[in-house]
Amino acid sequence: MGFSVSGSAAIIFVAIFLAFSTAYTASANGFERMTDAKTAVDEEALERQNTALSVANVTYDGGTDTLSVDVVNEGTTGLSVNATDLLVDNAYRDNFTARRVGGDNSTDLWLPGEQLHLELTTPTRPDRVKIVSGPGVAVTEVL
Amino acid sequence: MASVSASHLILFIASLVIAAGVAGTFTQGISRLSQGIDDQSLEVSEEVRTDIEVISDAGSPVYNNSTNTVTILVKNTGTSTLDNDSRFVEILLDGRYRTNVTSTVVDGEEWRPNNVIRLEIGGADLTAGDHRVKIIVNGDEEVFRFRT
Repeated sequence: MGFSVSGSAAIIFVAIFLAFSTAYTASANGFERMTDAKTAVDEEALERQNTALSVANVTYDGGTDTLSVDVVNEGTTGLSVNATDLLVDNAYRDNFTARRVGGDNSTDLWLPGEQLHLELTTPTRPDRVKIVSGPGVAVTEVL
Repeated sequence: MASVSASHLILFIASLVIAAGVAGTFTQGISRLSQGIDDQSLEVSEEVRTDIEVISDAGSPVYNNSTNTVTILVKNTGTSTLDNDSRFVEILLDGRYRTNVTSTVVDGEEWRPNNVIRLEIGGADLTAGDHRVKIIVNGDEEVFRFRT
């Protein structure tokens, strides 16, 4: 009888050990995944809180059909030029003839205090222009 | 003595078989539970990472009278790539679920973070007045109000 009890106890013990190691791995991975996601969302929310835009100038030149938009990064966080969207009368536009930050047309960084200059050709005079930054903070200008 | 040994052997084998059965059932149950935790955490983390923003300008025309189409631009402001297929983007226009929706990524191939999709809701046939569109992607909801 001693062998029976010992053998059975050993099998049950090994099974419990394996089961709890599996459960622990799954729980730890899940917890880590959730923590990473929460951290990413918190960082994103902080970036959004630190983002502010202001339109410096929007002009339309009817002679050259050119719309020029100047927007200043009034926040305290650096933004991405490529992640910035422009809507002209609710139409998404990305065919810029010029897109530069402080005279530099190759940079993707739009740092606090810097002015983003956008130019594009549009055949008619637009009524409204909306600029949306990467974090989603937007500013609208009525011409 | 031989009969006692045989009885002990039978009891020994029986106890091992029962213990193995209990152990197998137990580990199988815990394994299923672990798989469930893994799948659920993946799903919840994707939901947490999902964030969208309607960037359409409500002051500009959103509804096209001639084609009965509502056009909405939605930006991925989260931290994960989303599926822009209309099967994964739920749209309610004035409380009515819409299936006649065309979804296009306007500034890329995929709906990655910072990319924008254009949702064209066909067959809208809206009357003059205030309207609202509710967009649900991966559990994240956004409401956009506009006037026709």
